[in-house]
Amino acid sequence: MAKPIIKIRDLTVGYDFPLLSEINLEINPGEIVAIVGISGLGKTTLLRTIAGVIPKLSGQIFGDIRRRGGIGYIPQRLGLVRHASVYHNVELGARCGVKLSTESGNIFNWSKRKSLVIRDCVDQVGLSEKIDEPIRRLSGGQQRRVATARAIAQKPQLILADEFLSELDKENADSIISLMRKYVSDTQCAMLLVEHHIVRAEQIADRIIDLSGFDSKLTSEA
Amino acid sequence: MSGKLNKVWLISFGLLVTAIIVLNNLVRGDWGDLTGGFANLIKFWNTELWPPRWSLIFEAQSEPPNCRVEIGFFCSKAYTGMLETLKMAFVATIFGFIGAIALSPFAAKNLVPTYVLVPTRIFLALTRSLPSIIWAIIFVIVVGIGPLAGVLAMILYTIGYIGKLQYEEIEGINREPLEAARAMGLRHSEIVSKVVIPESGNTFLSQLLFMFEYNVRHGTVLGLVGAGGIGLHIDRAMELGNYNDVMSYLIVIYVVIIIIDFLSLFIRSFVTDEAEIGNKSLISTLLPASLTQRWRKQQN
Repeated sequence: MAKPIIKIRDLTVGYDFPLLSEINLEINPGEIVAIVGISGLGKTTLLRTIAGVIPKLSGQIFGDIRRRGGIGYIPQRLGLVRHASVYHNVELGARCGVKLSTESGNIFNWSKRKSLVIRDCVDQVGLSEKIDEPIRRLSGGQQRRVATARAIAQKPQLILADEFLSELDKENADSIISLMRKYVSDTQCAMLLVEHHIVRAEQIADRIIDLSGFDSKLTSEA
Repeated sequence: MSGKLNKVWLISFGLLVTAIIVLNNLVRGDWGDLTGGFANLIKFWNTELWPPRWSLIFEAQSEPPNCRVEIGFFCSKAYTGMLETLKMAFVATIFGFIGAIALSPFAAKNLVPTYVLVPTRIFLALTRSLPSIIWAIIFVIVVGIGPLAGVLAMILYTIGYIGKLQYEEIEGINREPLEAARAMGLRHSEIVSKVVIPESGNTFLSQLLFMFEYNVRHGTVLGLVGAGGIGLHIDRAMELGNYNDVMSYLIVIYVVIIIIDFLSLFIRSFVTDEAEIGNKSLISTLLPASLTQRWRKQQN
């Protein structure tokens, strides 16, 4: 069996006080796991802790994800640079995904390869015509596509997405779901998402962890 | 709601009354200075200030003798002095802005730890705590009388002033783009150049334009301590008691400030959320929307 991308042992997350404790979770390559549950349980805090944005209170997180570009994080409000273009935002991911190796040539080569990756990713999410548009002029659905393109341009080991399917109409949600499923399967990365829309969570995820009625403890067996 | 409003009014009224009491304390209860002052101002205006000496604005000066332009205005004392002040302000704003943008990301608490931000903030406060005129006096001693002293003074003050505005702006930006960039593993320099600066770009541009205008105004004052520009002419005119000359220079400064203000309004209009590129004219920026529409209809 393949080595899990991420292995969480007895993790406690929270701020001044614990929100979720004794978290045990493993996600394998090519697997999408969705966490569902009512608001205020600490689902977003869990994602932010795994992303390394806030410190964990206790426990261990194992996996080769702490390197540059290892984690692709899509926050609840997407975390896009609003005044910059689609190209600029996807470039943030691509500069981690396209390695500047000494064997492959100089910085101009890197720039060229990066540009190809950006255009390809933007094309995959169907925004080629909007590539130079600033984010603030895009609709909510289009902005979610940009965040998706940024994540895949990064070629991460683990994608963390916080309710990124919410506020999407069925057509947009279906196309992003099929794109993400294909990407995770092709690249054998893993994805952990928080989703309050149970039907969409079932559509995208291989495994669902429902925290509703759960007493602040999350285990892989749950 | 109305209770909250009443509280606001009460506090505002309290502040106004406090200000009047403090003012009374400052004039030591003798308001005669203030009432008599206005009459003095009218007298001073009529006898000393007006009419200004227009020749200083529209006629060529004897120095420098090699002014090759035919139109007298471009060789006048007011024009050459103002041009020097504008050059000083431009150079100081650009260098000061670069210095501030290099330092401010090290003073924002959402970007760096406390042990980095505290020394940076102390340095910025140091450059800001002395007014530019004091810096100018110091630099006149160091590099001598002339525009260089003024430029150096304004650069230091710009770094401190803009630096503070910038790090406060950076601390106010949305945390999610920063968190996404950190989770990706982007370096500090990449986060600053690719996330922070584009996200705060509009405000930075406003600050740049504001600082240029500020430096133009202050550049005129710096001349009083020998730091070059039109202020040097004002200083000489005041020393000789030629207040008509002073009035001429003040008119030029006022007109230039108004022009800069309108230009900055025009430039800033390109970077607002509502800005539509290709649909801009100076008229549409300066006039209210209803008047602009009427003007467009007339044009068509």
